[in-house]
Amino acid sequence: MALISDADRETIRAHFDESLTGDVEIVMFTERESLIIIPGKQPCEMCAQTEELLEEVAALSDKLKLTVHEISSAKEQAFALGVNRVPAFVVEGAARGRVRFFGIPSGYEFSALIADLVDVSTGVTDLSEETREYLSALTEDVNIKVFTTPT
Amino acid sequence: MAVESEHVTADVIEAMEFPDLSQRYGVRGVPKIVINETTEFVGALPEAEYLAHVRAAVERNGKDTT
Repeated sequence: MALISDADRETIRAHFDESLTGDVEIVMFTERESLIIIPGKQPCEMCAQTEELLEEVAALSDKLKLTVHEISSAKEQAFALGVNRVPAFVVEGAARGRVRFFGIPSGYEFSALIADLVDVSTGVTDLSEETREYLSALTEDVNIKVFTTPT
Repeated sequence: MAVESEHVTADVIEAMEFPDLSQRYGVRGVPKIVINETTEFVGALPEAEYLAHVRAAVERNGKDTT
């Protein structure tokens, strides 16, 4: 069964058609279930579901491209993007900085994902002029962590 | 903000999935925002206040050279 309902799918597809201007690549890192059980190593509970959700989202627009990497065989790329846990994905497009998601983007986070995909596609935000001026003049790195829960 | 500046990295973290991170950053309520490991607040704030926290974190970074 699909994770996104038919009605939501159509709403999001229409929103993407209207709003996405540039291509966006979603680079996901996962850990697929291994047939070998390693003592003390927890399987990635949300990896499969996150991958499925991203596949469903990426299918809603030609401008979205999903690439999935098994983290154990893409260590250098994960390191370069600052990804050290799974499931995680980076949203790349017209953003000047970097947007990363750790964990499944469900519940409230799902709408954040849809909004971020649009922002990253257009490279434009609805932030105030003051905020944008401040950000464009930044010379130091800033990391913003936003902790959320699905409900 | 990460869309607007090459210097900004924004991480959205699902707190329940990563209890180690939630514990490290003392997450008791969401959304909890941590900027540069030094500045934090809980809850959605108006943009101007949010920006003030970013400014404070950047200024603090400048002073902390140790």
